[in-house]
Amino acid sequence: MGNKQTIFTSQQLDAYQDCTYFTRKEILRLFHRYRDLAPQLVPLDYKNQPEVRLPYELIGSMPELKDNPFRQRIAEVFSEDGEGNMTLDDFLDMFSVLSEMAPRDLKAYYAFKIYDFNNDDFICKSDLEKTLNKLTRNELTEDEVRMVCEKVMDEADLDNDGRLSLEDFQHMIVRAPDFLSTFHIRI
Amino acid sequence: MRRMSVFPQHGTALGNLGLTANEIRQETENNTSELISDLVNLSARARFQAIRSLPMPFNEKKAIRNRVNSVKLSKTILAADCRQQVSRSFRRFRASLASARQHLIIWQDTLKGIGSRFGTSVLSYFLFLKWLLKFNLFSLIVNFCFITIPQIVHEPNISSITGFRGLELLTGVGYFNQTVLFYGGYNGEVIVSKPTYNMQLAYFFTIAAYLVLCGVSLLYSMSRSFQKNFVLETGPVSGGAWRLLCSWDFSVVNEKAIQYNKNNLAIQLKESLSERLQEKNQMSLSDRIKRLSLHLLAWLLSLGLAVGSGAGIYFLGTNQELAFSSNHDPSDLGAEASTLLLPVVVSLINLIVPLLYSLISKIESYSNPRAMIYISIVRNVILKMSILGILCFYWLDSVPEKTSCWESFVGQSVYRLLIIDFIFCLLGIFFGEFLRNVIGTMCIQTLGVPEFDIARNVLDLIYAQTLAWIGIYFSPLLPVMQVLKLFIIFYLKKISLSMNCQPPKHTGRAAQIQTVFIALLFFPSFVGALSMVAFTVWSLKPSDQCGPFQGLDTPFHTIFSWTDSLPEYHWVGWIFENILRSELFYYLISLIVLVITYFLWQITQGRKQLIKTLREQIVNEGKDKAFLLNKLKNLQKERREMASYRSQDYDQTPYFNPNWMNTLPLDM
Repeated sequence: MGNKQTIFTSQQLDAYQDCTYFTRKEILRLFHRYRDLAPQLVPLDYKNQPEVRLPYELIGSMPELKDNPFRQRIAEVFSEDGEGNMTLDDFLDMFSVLSEMAPRDLKAYYAFKIYDFNNDDFICKSDLEKTLNKLTRNELTEDEVRMVCEKVMDEADLDNDGRLSLEDFQHMIVRAPDFLSTFHIRI
Repeated sequence: MRRMSVFPQHGTALGNLGLTANEIRQETENNTSELISDLVNLSARARFQAIRSLPMPFNEKKAIRNRVNSVKLSKTILAADCRQQVSRSFRRFRASLASARQHLIIWQDTLKGIGSRFGTSVLSYFLFLKWLLKFNLFSLIVNFCFITIPQIVHEPNISSITGFRGLELLTGVGYFNQTVLFYGGYNGEVIVSKPTYNMQLAYFFTIAAYLVLCGVSLLYSMSRSFQKNFVLETGPVSGGAWRLLCSWDFSVVNEKAIQYNKNNLAIQLKESLSERLQEKNQMSLSDRIKRLSLHLLAWLLSLGLAVGSGAGIYFLGTNQELAFSSNHDPSDLGAEASTLLLPVVVSLINLIVPLLYSLISKIESYSNPRAMIYISIVRNVILKMSILGILCFYWLDSVPEKTSCWESFVGQSVYRLLIIDFIFCLLGIFFGEFLRNVIGTMCIQTLGVPEFDIARNVLDLIYAQTLAWIGIYFSPLLPVMQVLKLFIIFYLKKISLSMNCQPPKHTGRAAQIQTVFIALLFFPSFVGALSMVAFTVWSLKPSDQCGPFQGLDTPFHTIFSWTDSLPEYHWVGWIFENILRSELFYYLISLIVLVITYFLWQITQGRKQLIKTLREQIVNEGKDKAFLLNKLKNLQKERREMASYRSQDYDQTPYFNPNWMNTLPLDM
C-alpha cells in the first residue's frame, strides 16, 4: 500500500510492524538512522536478510545515547550476543521498548535487566552500588553509597532475601508514576 | 498476561533444582505452546498488543508471531489467502491512519526538543499550555460558527459612531463597542430563513454546551490523572531512595542537562539520608512552638495581603471605572486610558505579591521541600481567586444597576484584564528572565542563572484561563485573543528557556504536581467561572437596550418561552417540565449517588485490607522459599556425600575383572 520502497519485502515490514510499536514510516526512518551510523557496512537491500551487526562503539556514539550513563548496559541488554553489537532487529527492538507506546510492565522488565549488572536475574547490593556510581560520580562518599544501597534494599525488598527480584522491582515501579515518562528515549 | 513476563529462562531457580538440559528445554517448549494457544484465543487487536509486549528478543517474538499466524490460518474456513489479504490490508490502513494523525499534532518536534533538553517536568508546563490552547480553539470554532456567522450574515449590527483609533486594542471600547466582539453586538431576533434560526436559543445553548463539554473533559482528565499518579501509598514510601532506580530521566540528551540531573540526584539522595538521621531526633517543645508560631505568622501575613489587595481593587473599581462609564464622551481619550488603571493594578498585584510570599516563606522552615511547594501553591491560589472573586462580585453586584448595556461593559473589563496581563507577561519574560540572567551571570555572580519556576508559570496560565472562561458569556469572541496569546507565549517561553533559564532543582513527583494543577484548573477556576456565568444567566436581569436577551426577565426565560412554543406533549417539553424542573428528580439522583459512593468506599476499604494481607503473604513466601532452598541444598549435599562414600566403598571390595585373559603377561 502506498510508497514504493525497495529495502524490505512487505512480509518483513509487516513482521516489524507487528512486533514493534512503530509504524511503517518510522521503521524506514529508523533503518536510515541505523544505516547512517555505518553506510559502508549496512546494505540498502535487506530482502535476503543479511547478517549485519554494528559494533557497540558506533551504537554508543548516537546522539540519543552518547551521554546516557547506562548506554553500555542498554546496548548489552538488547543485543543478541550480549556484548553490545546490534543487528537491525535489535536496534528496532531497543527503540521500540524505549518509545512512549510501550506498556509499563515491558519497560519495567527491561529496566530490571539493565540495572542487573551481573545478569543473575536479581539486583543485589553490588548491582545497586554500580548503578549509583554510574549516576553520581564523586559527590557521595563510600559510607553514603553504602547507606543509600541499604536504604533501597530496605524499602524495596519485600520477601527479605537480600536482593531484589523482578516482582520487587515491579512493585516499586508501581509507586513511581513518573517511570513511564522517564524511561523513554525519543528518536 | 503476567505469566508471560516472568520467564525463568536461564534462571537460577530452575538451575538450583538440578534439572537436566533436556528437561529445561521441555519446560520452555511447554510454556511456549501454552503462550501460543493463549494468544490464538484473543481478538486480533489484543493479540498484536500482546505480541508486541512480550519481553523477548526480536527473533523469538517473530517466531512466536509466525507460529500464531499459522495456527490461526489452519483454523480458518475461508480461503486462506483471501482472509490473510483482507486482515493485512486492514491493519495497514489502520497503521497509516495513525501515522497521518501524528502529522496533525502541532509542535511535536518542538516539544520533543524541550523534553530532551530540560526533562519531563518542564515539558509538563508546555503540555499544559497546549491543552489549554485546545480548549480555546474549540470554543473559538464553536462560537464563531454558531453565533457570530449568523449574526454577521443576517443582521449586521454595527452602528459605531467613532472611527478606529489605536487605543481600542487596549481598552476594547469605542469602535469595538457595537461589534460582534461583545455581547452588545448581538441581538436576539429570530432569523427568518429556510430553517428559522433563533439567535437567543443559539447564544444560550452554544455557551452552555461549550461549558458543559469543558467540565466533562476536565473531570475526565482529573480522574484519569488521579488514578494514574496517586496510587495507594502503602509501605515506607516517605523515604527517597526509590529515586535511585526509578527516576533517572533517560530522555534527556543534552550533556549539560545530564550533568545537572546527576548533581540534583546526589543532592536529593543526601537529603533523604539526612532525613533518615533526622527522624531519630525529636524536637523539643520550645522548638515546636517556635516553628508553629512562625507558620501562623506567615499565614496571617499572606491572608492579610490577599484580603488587602482584594479590598484595594474593589475601592479602585467602584470609584474609578464607573466614573468613566457615566461620562461616555467618546473623544475623551484620557478618561478612556484611565480605565486601564484597574487592570494594571491587578497585574501589578499578581506580580508583586507572589514575590512577597516567597520572601515570607523564607522565614519559615519546612520539614520537606514538597510541603513548601504545596503551601506556596495554596497561598498563590488563594490570592488569585480572591482577586477574581472580588472582581466578579463587583461586576455582578454594582455594575448592572449603574450602566446601560452592562454585559458589554463586563466583557470589555475582562478584555482589558487579559490584554494587560499579556503585556505584563511579556515584560516579565524580558525583565524577570532575560535581565535577571544578564545580572546573574555578569554583574552579581552569586545570584546565578534563574530557575524556571513551573508552579508560578502554571498558576499564571490558570488565572488567564479563568478570566477567559468568565468572559465567554459576555464576549463570545474572546477566545481569539486567548489563542493568539497562548501561541505567542509558547514560543517566547521556549526561547527564553533556552537562552536564560535552567530547569528547576526539585523535580521529584512531577506527576503528582501535574494532577494538582489539573485539579486546580477544575476546582476553583472552572467551577468559579461556571458559577458566575450560571448566576448571571439564572438570576440577573439582562440589559434592555442591547444583547440577545433584551426584554426578558432573566436569560433563562428563553427556555421557558421556547418550551411554551413547542406543540403539546412534545417529548422535549415533557422532559423539561417533569424531569429537569422537578425537585424530586434531583433528590432521587443525589440519594442514588450517595449510596453508590458509600458502596465504593466500602469496597476500597476491603481492598486495602486485602493488600495488607497479600504483602504479609509475600513476606511469608519469601521465608518459605529461603527455607526450602536451604533444605534442598542440604539434601543435595547429603546425596553427593552418600554417592562419593559409596563409590569409595565400591572400590575397596574385590572386583572380578571379566577381562582377566588380557591382563596376563604377554610372554606366557
